[in-house]
Amino acid sequence: MVAEKESEEEPRIGVYVCHCGLNIAGTVNCEDVAEFASALPNVVVSKDNRYACSDQGQETIKNDIKEYNLNRVVVASCSPRLHEPTFRKACEDAGLNKYLFEMANIREHCSWVHLHDKEAATQKAKDLVKAAVSKVALLEPAVETEVPIKRTALVIGGGVSGIQASLDLADTGYKVYLVEKEPSIGGRMAQIDKTFPTMDCSICILAPKMSDVGHHPNIELLTNSEVQEVKGYIGNFKVKILKGPRYVTDECSACNDCSEVCPITTPNEFDVGLATRRAIYTPFAQAVPSTYIVDRDLCLNKEGVMACDKCIRACEREAIDFDMKPEILDVEVGTIIVATGADVYDPSILPNYGYTRYQNVITSLEFERLINAGGPSGGNLIRPSDRKIPESVAFIQCVGSRTDKGNQYCSNVCCMNTIKDSLLIKEHWPDIKIYVFYVDIRAFGKGFEDLYKRAKEEGAIFIRGLPAEVVEDRKTHNLWLVGENTLQKELYRVNVGMVVLSIGIEPRPDSDVIQRLFTLSRTPDGFFMEAHPKLKPVDAPTGGIFLAGCAESPKDIKDSVTQASAAAARAGILMAQGKVTVEAITPKPIPENCKGCGLCARVCPYNAIIVDKEREQVEVIDAACAGCGTCGAECPFDALHMRHFTNAQIIAQIDALTETGADKKIIAFCCNWCAYAGADFAGVSRMQYPPNVRIIRTMCSGRISLKFVEHAFSRGAGGVLVAGCHPGDCHYIDANVQTQKRVEKLWKKMQRLGVNKERLQLLWASAAEGERIASKIREMQAKLDVLTPEEIEKSKEVFAGS
Amino acid sequence: MVLSKKLWRTPLDAEKISLPKAEISIQPDLCKGCDFCIEFCPMKVLEKSDQPNKRGIYPPRVADESKCTICGFCTAICPDFAISATERKCKEGCENE
Repeated sequence: MVAEKESEEEPRIGVYVCHCGLNIAGTVNCEDVAEFASALPNVVVSKDNRYACSDQGQETIKNDIKEYNLNRVVVASCSPRLHEPTFRKACEDAGLNKYLFEMANIREHCSWVHLHDKEAATQKAKDLVKAAVSKVALLEPAVETEVPIKRTALVIGGGVSGIQASLDLADTGYKVYLVEKEPSIGGRMAQIDKTFPTMDCSICILAPKMSDVGHHPNIELLTNSEVQEVKGYIGNFKVKILKGPRYVTDECSACNDCSEVCPITTPNEFDVGLATRRAIYTPFAQAVPSTYIVDRDLCLNKEGVMACDKCIRACEREAIDFDMKPEILDVEVGTIIVATGADVYDPSILPNYGYTRYQNVITSLEFERLINAGGPSGGNLIRPSDRKIPESVAFIQCVGSRTDKGNQYCSNVCCMNTIKDSLLIKEHWPDIKIYVFYVDIRAFGKGFEDLYKRAKEEGAIFIRGLPAEVVEDRKTHNLWLVGENTLQKELYRVNVGMVVLSIGIEPRPDSDVIQRLFTLSRTPDGFFMEAHPKLKPVDAPTGGIFLAGCAESPKDIKDSVTQASAAAARAGILMAQGKVTVEAITPKPIPENCKGCGLCARVCPYNAIIVDKEREQVEVIDAACAGCGTCGAECPFDALHMRHFTNAQIIAQIDALTETGADKKIIAFCCNWCAYAGADFAGVSRMQYPPNVRIIRTMCSGRISLKFVEHAFSRGAGGVLVAGCHPGDCHYIDANVQTQKRVEKLWKKMQRLGVNKERLQLLWASAAEGERIASKIREMQAKLDVLTPEEIEKSKEVFAGS
Repeated sequence: MVLSKKLWRTPLDAEKISLPKAEISIQPDLCKGCDFCIEFCPMKVLEKSDQPNKRGIYPPRVADESKCTICGFCTAICPDFAISATERKCKEGCENE
């Protein structure tokens, strides 16, 4: 198949060098570059143009394609990240396959970064055009594959985010499977008493939504269930769900007769252990489904031994069935929304606040249950030690947040939650004295500042500076708070009846399981990472998967609902279209070279390669593949044809760039998303660096095969830079882990062969770190300046034939 | 609703919850020592007595009556009708009534 394409008609290339007004032409002699290009192999026509992207500029290209019968086009202008789609479209309009187009970036990577060295910049522009011409000659036409999208969605997590996303999708008309691992949906919001800033009763606004989920004809609610396995790809996920048995059938009328006779009691999780439940129970009054559930870990009836039948006898509707078994459900869905929520920080590991040592130190979540009229104290804010309402309450902010001892990040909701709590106290017991010890009060949202003001007007005292220590008075069980008021620069010593720790939000402990199941990425904080922080804030990096709620980052109810609706809309777009096209940059296995060793499959971050051990062949699932190319770099047998970034194309670029004066040049391989974009950013910011660097773009640094680096050295390149995203930020989940391994491997080899390993550099740089790239190039240039001809010869020799 | 943290407090309603108090009666001489009751009691209320009965075997005795939930399993599985657990009628000796 590959051979066929290569034997197609001779390339007829058109080159267009853009002035971009004076942006390029101010530094680069564009006429000279165009003339130079006209002499390159296979170039039929070469022109310079004031603005190639303008309608007139595009018309020139379209007309030339027809007039000169061009079958390849190169535009030398700005970054392909900016205008590649524009010119690809122009080519397509003129009947040329869009994959037969290539750009040379002579603005961001040339004219803007070498403003004061016109000669070197012009020379560099010529090199970049030559490389593009060499590559374009080898490009192949491609048709993007279409993948059908199943019009069914899976939502993981039944908190307010999952509920909202499910309802939105179901109301649009799509079938939704909502999977919740707890016995009821509702999540954290069900536990909270009031919401800020409007002081709505939390469960009163949530319960109707929960009930809607329970009754919606398009929603299949699977509680007490967990996702076990996810296979497939965008549009076509095959999911295994383990549905745990409730041991109570739908006949249950939630009358509570069973619970009353159950002899086993335990602290109720829903009330944070402040109330009791039985072994057969419902977590809270508004639970959906309302069907009771048996906690088999506690129930006297173990597998095979039925010791107690009190609940069975008490149940008039005969709804209790201890023979229920776990079920595995296989469902096929087109899109997935991950709304798995978050956990709360455990303050018992902070010895200075005395949580679990002092009865009257409670968490903000315990506070919610205590102040709730339906809670264990009937809405009375009582001290656990003596069940009396305290005369004073202190809130301590940022417990576990913004600290080296806990989590580094701000948990987003705690400031406003405390302000809300202080107003709730003042509403019920105006005489309770309230102190709030804070670092900063972050009241940034709509209506937040008003609430903050109100709390101060109502008499809550805000003191900047967290207490260093909380000490209990053994007789009264009151608490002393000792610390420094950093605004007044004086020490305080405050005595209160109760302390509320405003605990932060943290990722769920089983986030790694979810991460593996759905091939997600996580930020250093541990929350799931979005595909783009600004423009794709609810898309996961894996196609067809979306994020909502606290699973993505700590957020309040309003933001969770907003994000859930956004995720539902994004998933809905895919399902409405019913199909998706996959960029034709996925690899094609070359059967005659493939040994079926499976090395490629091992490094694939998306599990998109299936190894057929029997046939000793691999198969690529185009729809699951994102096109990073790390498989191609790993393959020792050249058995993967990385479309649009083939070995031959990249080698041709290296050859073109090292044809003259290679020893004075740095060949830089940059990933499209971070390093290349970072170099673009350096250009936009006009950061100046030495002009001897030549950048070759690949989608991911994982594509950089050691062959490419060795080939550059064999051609006499002075230095080679491999640059990609920071570890953990890789656009292809973790493909750049392979980059690091490979570079380290080559460093060892260079040392062994007596080549200075400093000549190969590895750099992690984000799209915003232009200066990092610029300074790395400066640093490499300094090393290049002292490189001897003998050293160049040595590396040419040892890598000869690479 | 998910809570991974261990629940350490005594629930506020702990003392309000009154579970029926058990009264376990054992007729040692009927026992032939199969030990089913001891082995299968889900709350581990029973233990082997150190006093042999008339037959010369060691019957069960109550180790901790307060743990009994009166599930009745011992009564049901005893092949010799030697043990029964019933709810204690609270005339005296039941504090919570």
